[in-house]
Amino acid sequence: MRTQQTLGEVLAARGVSRRGFMKFCASTASLMALPPAMIPRIAAALENAKRPSVIWLPFQECTGCTESITRSHAPTLEGLIFDTISLDYQHTIMAAAGARAEEARHEAMKANFGEYILAVDGSIPMKDKAFSCIAGESNYDIFIEAVKGAKAIVAIGTCAAFGGIPMAKPNPTGAASVQDVLNEAGLQKPIINISGCPPIPTAITGVLAQYLTFGELPELDHLGRPKAFFGQNIHDRCYRRPFYERGEFAESFDDEGAKKGWCLYKLGCKGPVTYNACATIKWNNGAGFPIEGGHGCLGCAEPGFWDWGGFYRPLSQGDWGDWKTLGIAAAAGAALGIASVAVSRVKQARARQEKS
Amino acid sequence: MSVDAAAFQTFREKAGQLRTSAVPAAVPSDVRVDRAKTVFKRRLDAGQATYLETCIHCGMCAEACHFYEATGHGRYTPIYKVDLLRRYYRRELAPMGWLRRLVMRDITAKDLEDWQELVYDSCTQCGRCDMICPMGIHISPMIGIMREALAEAGLQPIEQRALAKEINEQGTLLGIGPGTYQAVAAELRGRGVEVPLDKPRADVMVLMNAMDAAVFKDAIAATARIMNRLGLDWTIRTGAGDAAAFDWTSGDERTHARMTRRIIEDAAAAGAKTVIVPECGHGYAALRWGGANVYGQPLPFEVMAISEFVGREVQAGRLKVKKVAASRSVTYHDPCKVGRWSGVLDEPRQALAAIGIEVREMESHAKTNYCCGGGGGVFLNERAAKLRQGAFRIKMKEADATGAASVVTACGHCRMTFMAGAQQANWPTPIESLVELVAENLAE
Amino acid sequence: MTLLEFARGPGLQGALLIFSLGVAWRLVGTFLLARNRDLAQPKGTSTVKAGVRAMIMRSIPPHELEKRITFQHITGYAWHLGFFAVLLFFGPHVPFFKQFLGFGWPYLPNTAVMVLGAFTLAILVALLVRRMLHPVLKQISTFDDYLSVVLVILPLLTGFLSYSHVQPLDVRYEVLLAVHLLSVEALLVWFPFGKLMHLFYAFPSRYQVGAAMQRKGVQA
Repeated sequence: MRTQQTLGEVLAARGVSRRGFMKFCASTASLMALPPAMIPRIAAALENAKRPSVIWLPFQECTGCTESITRSHAPTLEGLIFDTISLDYQHTIMAAAGARAEEARHEAMKANFGEYILAVDGSIPMKDKAFSCIAGESNYDIFIEAVKGAKAIVAIGTCAAFGGIPMAKPNPTGAASVQDVLNEAGLQKPIINISGCPPIPTAITGVLAQYLTFGELPELDHLGRPKAFFGQNIHDRCYRRPFYERGEFAESFDDEGAKKGWCLYKLGCKGPVTYNACATIKWNNGAGFPIEGGHGCLGCAEPGFWDWGGFYRPLSQGDWGDWKTLGIAAAAGAALGIASVAVSRVKQARARQEKS
Repeated sequence: MSVDAAAFQTFREKAGQLRTSAVPAAVPSDVRVDRAKTVFKRRLDAGQATYLETCIHCGMCAEACHFYEATGHGRYTPIYKVDLLRRYYRRELAPMGWLRRLVMRDITAKDLEDWQELVYDSCTQCGRCDMICPMGIHISPMIGIMREALAEAGLQPIEQRALAKEINEQGTLLGIGPGTYQAVAAELRGRGVEVPLDKPRADVMVLMNAMDAAVFKDAIAATARIMNRLGLDWTIRTGAGDAAAFDWTSGDERTHARMTRRIIEDAAAAGAKTVIVPECGHGYAALRWGGANVYGQPLPFEVMAISEFVGREVQAGRLKVKKVAASRSVTYHDPCKVGRWSGVLDEPRQALAAIGIEVREMESHAKTNYCCGGGGGVFLNERAAKLRQGAFRIKMKEADATGAASVVTACGHCRMTFMAGAQQANWPTPIESLVELVAENLAE
Repeated sequence: MTLLEFARGPGLQGALLIFSLGVAWRLVGTFLLARNRDLAQPKGTSTVKAGVRAMIMRSIPPHELEKRITFQHITGYAWHLGFFAVLLFFGPHVPFFKQFLGFGWPYLPNTAVMVLGAFTLAILVALLVRRMLHPVLKQISTFDDYLSVVLVILPLLTGFLSYSHVQPLDVRYEVLLAVHLLSVEALLVWFPFGKLMHLFYAFPSRYQVGAAMQRKGVQA
């Protein structure tokens, strides 16, 4: 597919007013924590942006990330922006299928070699690469080939970013993250991890907008996630924080505390150790986020969240073992004690006998 | 009653000569540690282990110790005095001993030498530290183990060694023995007080007490008058040996066992039902609590301190007393070994109340009293003289604060400590004997 | 494995195992040693009652003794009480105990816990300084004494840091929480080897001295 129309031309053709467009640029700037002076620059860049090619590779995924991004209850500018990148390969929403779809992918990769953005969702199985294939090709092979001509990789969702749910113990498929696979293959490419299970829609579009504007990666945290969305933890922005501070906790779902909207720490909320924008940007166009709905944060934007001992296990609890094991340890200790006593008693008895 | 000042002076001079007559123990230093450890090994048990394990190094025991209070020196902390015992226990008998040995030094001969001061000079085994310890550690008996260990290693104070030698070889204490008692009995008979010596059999046997025979003859007379007034079948048997347990205080367990067995066998031979220890703290405690264990079986007689006996008889109405002519106030000094160590706390006070004497208690009295400073052999220990005087000053202050005219006690050793201390400090308050006071006020 | 995953998993398991083994070893190895027999005729009766009494009343010494230890006496109990109040009655701690016991209990408001914790920490630091300067304590203190107090201070200090979400040197919350858990685990690991065992030994020891003195007719 050729990308000849600029983004500005497409928007105009769609009937988006200049005012509407500038409003979008302003809200994008503020989302990305960029100063107002940047707005004209964003507008200029977007207007004149050539529609970059985006190739979206789906691996061991549940399609939730696609659902999240495309889910909107009303047409939104984000959706329009999506129309204005050249999404050359995306299983869920592309029209073509089968051999024609694969053909489209290879063509796009060839035509835009070195320039296309590689979007990935789902983890890649490494134990036996045959565990996940598309049209007879393994995910691993598809990925390695696609990486060669990619300008940058956007790992969408916790599976692509960190391994996600397939990686949960005992990890039967040997699921690996995009970064893991690159490391294993000895390759290097700029990666942005947009984690979350699924990620917040505006996190994707905001990052893309920044990339389109500046042509460089946004500031990333130590896990490769854009700081603009993943720089603060849920706990610090949670509206229920005052209840945590005061020590007012819900003890069970639907108890008095729960009904009063108290802190969900004791119901396993992982807010304090989770970094995402749920508490500020929220979901469903700002309708709410899990804690607001009365359920603790699962920590879904963090690596290994599925193996944190359970969604309802509070952070102050851990995997301590069981009484039986502790009992065995105590018995072993007692045996050592008896051994020591036996030696001492013999020593003492001997000494006492010698006296008399 | 009056105290023969000259006799006291003579006694002190004789005690002072002990240093010159003693022969240092010939125990090579490499053997010393083994000998000390053998004592530790024999004496430690689960009870002591619990005490040694539970110390949290809070240092409160020091705040109960008169030697620490008088000097401010941290090394006189009571639990530190038994530190060698702790180290031995942790390294060689306790669980995880092999771990401890990696980080804890073994006891050395130099340690034993250093500990002489801690265990003999700056400790009277008074037991006041036992009362304060928040962990409930019974420190004072462990001091006894330390002393036995050091004595076995030949490191007991030179004066104690000389006394032990004298007792073992001559059967006398500072020259005082059966002969002295015979002379005293004769003298007292001349004064009209009958002291029945060496009866073949008797219900009540009173022990000899060298200090009384040398310095406090009036105490012997008082005891005799009380016994006679009660109409008891009683005697003092010179063959039994002296009550004064200097060997016990020095840790010379061999001598002590011999002397104790001698008393017990003699009393048993005489068919005594009650053995009374005259005014002597260590003598009473040693026989009352150690006697049966030396003997290997419960004693065939009751052991009482004279103050305990007198108080009991007065309370029961068997010993009739009258009130003193002129009312006066005293303060009572509990001898540590009779009071806190052995539970004789009420009887002396009952006796004093019965004769109409007002007792103005010192702030620390009865089970929390301060030691006179001379107990546990410290009075005879010349090396400890300065420490003893420092401790005594605490006692003087407390007594002065009561406003009492005199101090009454029921132990000859405490009495001598008070007399010597008062002399040195020019302290005017006199020290009196309980048994003498009661005997002076027997009903007509 | 992240630090927090370690602290909430193998770290906790390992610490509890070492604690169980070590405590059993030490207690069995002490209490089952030979016991000396005392053949002397006792004076006082009901040594059991006296022993039990001593277990409690040793905390309240007679005035003439107490007046020389007042500061240490009061601060000593104060910090113990504060420490256990924070440990047992801070909201997020209750689930920690619930996982072992199967039941929880009511807890204090956070402000109360913070105040108690602050006082406890202040006293501990003051007593540590005292231990380094006082003639008696300087003489008798060992490595165990200093390590034990540091290991008690650290959970309180790191607890404050992780609760208040203070960000010194830009340390992330999950690291602060992990360090807090690890400090508790360090305390558990050291526990059987040092003087912290007085938790188990103090009451038997008090009982012993109460019974022993009662045998001799004296109330301990």
